[in-house]
Amino acid sequence: MPGFLTTKRLKGAATLATVLGAVYAERLRVDRSLGDSSFFTGYVLLGALVLLALYNTRKRFAAAPLGASRWWMQLHVYTGLGSVAVFLMHTGLCWPDGWLEGTLAALFAATAASGVLGLYWTRTLPLKLARVGEEVIYERIPALRNQVRELAEEAVLSTIAATGSTTLAGVYSKHLAAYFEQPREWGYFLWPTNRRRRALMADLTEASRFLSDAEQSAGEELFALVRKRDDLDYHAALQWRLKAWLFVHIALTYPLLILAVIHGLVAHAFSGGLP
Amino acid sequence: MSTPATPGLEVAVQRPQRWDVPFDSRMRAVDVEKLLGAEPFASMDAGAFPAALPLEGILKSDTRVVRYADGDVVVREGDYGHSAFLILSGTVRVVVDSLPAEAFGKPPETPPSWWKTIAQGFRRTRLPELRDQPGRMANLRPEPGAVDAPPHVFLQDIPRVLAGTRTAQMHAGELFGEYSALTRSQRPCTVLAQGPASLLELRWQGLRDLMRYSPALQETVERLYRQNDLALHLQETPLFAGLPRESLDAVADAAEFESFGRFDWNADHPVGAKGPELIAAEPVIAEEETPADGVVLVRSGFARQSHRFGSGHRTVKYLGKGRVFGLAEALQASREGRPCDYRQSLRAIGYVDVLRIRQSVLEEHVFPRLPPERLTELAKQHRVEHAADDQGLPDSAGQGGLLEFVVEERLINGRQAMAIDLDRCTRCDDCVRACATAHDGNPRFLRHGTRHGNHLVTHACMHCVDPVCMIGCPTGAIGRDLGSGVVQINDPTCIGCGVCASSCPYDNIRMVEVRDVHGATAVDEESMLPLLKATKCDLCVGLPTGPACVHACPHDALVRIDLGNVGELGRLGAS
Repeated sequence: MPGFLTTKRLKGAATLATVLGAVYAERLRVDRSLGDSSFFTGYVLLGALVLLALYNTRKRFAAAPLGASRWWMQLHVYTGLGSVAVFLMHTGLCWPDGWLEGTLAALFAATAASGVLGLYWTRTLPLKLARVGEEVIYERIPALRNQVRELAEEAVLSTIAATGSTTLAGVYSKHLAAYFEQPREWGYFLWPTNRRRRALMADLTEASRFLSDAEQSAGEELFALVRKRDDLDYHAALQWRLKAWLFVHIALTYPLLILAVIHGLVAHAFSGGLP
Repeated sequence: MSTPATPGLEVAVQRPQRWDVPFDSRMRAVDVEKLLGAEPFASMDAGAFPAALPLEGILKSDTRVVRYADGDVVVREGDYGHSAFLILSGTVRVVVDSLPAEAFGKPPETPPSWWKTIAQGFRRTRLPELRDQPGRMANLRPEPGAVDAPPHVFLQDIPRVLAGTRTAQMHAGELFGEYSALTRSQRPCTVLAQGPASLLELRWQGLRDLMRYSPALQETVERLYRQNDLALHLQETPLFAGLPRESLDAVADAAEFESFGRFDWNADHPVGAKGPELIAAEPVIAEEETPADGVVLVRSGFARQSHRFGSGHRTVKYLGKGRVFGLAEALQASREGRPCDYRQSLRAIGYVDVLRIRQSVLEEHVFPRLPPERLTELAKQHRVEHAADDQGLPDSAGQGGLLEFVVEERLINGRQAMAIDLDRCTRCDDCVRACATAHDGNPRFLRHGTRHGNHLVTHACMHCVDPVCMIGCPTGAIGRDLGSGVVQINDPTCIGCGVCASSCPYDNIRMVEVRDVHGATAVDEESMLPLLKATKCDLCVGLPTGPACVHACPHDALVRIDLGNVGELGRLGAS
């Protein structure tokens, strides 16, 4: 695994620092010549927002020679980080007090925060997913969960048929049936843990002292299925998170762009004829 | 038909037999009688064939008589062979020069314009797999009275198509197509019927068995190969490249042909054994610590070079077409003047054709003809390699583990395999969406497949070195682009038989139901069953961006990689 400070990242950071330095210098120059630098930083920020939003548009034209997505991604990340710095220059490190500006600033902050969080998740969650058993496609998870439940029920029912004992069936109804039948609670999607799996394993282990050899064998199968179901839920939770943040991030972009344009028009309208 | 043996879990059924489904159900006893009276079958000793595999049975079930009209295409250049042809009557014309693909109803690929690629982004198809013309194409014609014989593709306007191309004639009694059939390689040229012609088509299984029990046919086939191709193949091998013509001919005369493994290995994959069981089942071509006698030259297919490690075998590398095994030992034996043992084993992966060139031949015709510095260079190149981490267990995530994985899964066949680094992949499916955008809304791969560590080799066509999917395609709809080597399906010529999909050992071809442009599902007017077409990754041939999947991956997690090239594996491991 390469270190954090790769050549690519250093080059990107250097380019970003150079561009930001140039923007800051121009802002100073405009201020010192008694101009209004907020128009300059505002237009730079609006340009950055348009460039950032264009990435999603580019994805739509996958077959067109508009540059590889990985380059757009890099551009998107560095432009996004740079836009935060330009936003701070534009606001002068003060939170705006008007409702339009306040809403706009809040939208920008939320979009930027979701972007940074998404960047962190897209760099860390794949590593976690790759460590979990087999690879599964998100849309197939409900069907796979059903398969696991059917296998578990089959294991229990076949044991009853073979031994006539209902001890394992009792354990299943009391501890496992709800786990296999129901989807995981919302809290799990936000913060997945293996607490429930460990609890169920402990219940099964505890019950195993009352099971015959044939039931013990079916019990082993249930252990494996509990693990499998937990892996599926873990995949579902992390993959959902990877999709949900992107949905939120994109959903915030459009009102942000609209309000930014309105803010620009209002700023020009009330600029008193000054540039 | 099944008969219950014992009530409960078991049911007794008749074991399927090789000839349950003959090559052509219309072959009659009288046809076989006629064949037995003609050469080369008349001079074959029927008593030499085992009772379970009689000569009559082979002729009845592994051959068929095919009648061609003037201009019908018998074999196409570039198609993969699975049968040989014996001319019974009439004449065929061998087209020595290449013919344009459009002569067979395959229009040339034109790259889409920049605007068209933009327009693709706006197109949203409500229904999948729409086709302008889902039914039969214009230049397919069924064989008269055919029930299970494939339709023929014919050339229209032969004088114009063949103008300026070199052709040769073959007449009754001559055999052709045997080399492609036995080595599963591409047909080197196109053969057309010149006037009405009747040909006996022998499927490869039948040809193989006829050769096994008829030394005369075996000699004929080997003579044809030695005569036409062997010296050329040897010359393409670095070891023999600098040899004078007379030495090359001497080596060609003395070369021994051997084949290992099952020709239809793909039928067992991926259901077969794994790990040590799999290696044990691989036929041994040369065994470690047994006396070495010359070199083994891989003519087609792949072989695993390994050495003993613990109670199993560790793969050192795999050898493909043109690669040599045992040269280090041969050079050492020549230098020291005494025989030595092979230090590693060579096993057939799937089906392998090799040439064995004995030590005495090398010492007489090869080593004395090569300059000493060339011999030193060869010795250096072919020094016996052992896995880098020989002292300990192979690291599953390292190069050793990756090598074992691609060999075990037979992925070495893949020239453009789609590998995804799961440590980087965010499962966003941008690759799948891009693929769909590039193919009118229909993705041509599944983001699912065989996994090793953090690498996933997906169900996307790998454009194999040995594309077994092409064998048996009755219309030649699936074929390799002669320029790029990409395996493509020509949709209008695909008749939806599914042979390619069931032959692909990697499950990378999908049969889909097609609809007309109005969204109505196309059905066969006779059986009323939906019409199917084979679909798979075409590597976005013609797109200015290259494969859309690679172009669309935001996290640089997806690569198309040549798994047959050991050097490329490092690229996968390094990602």
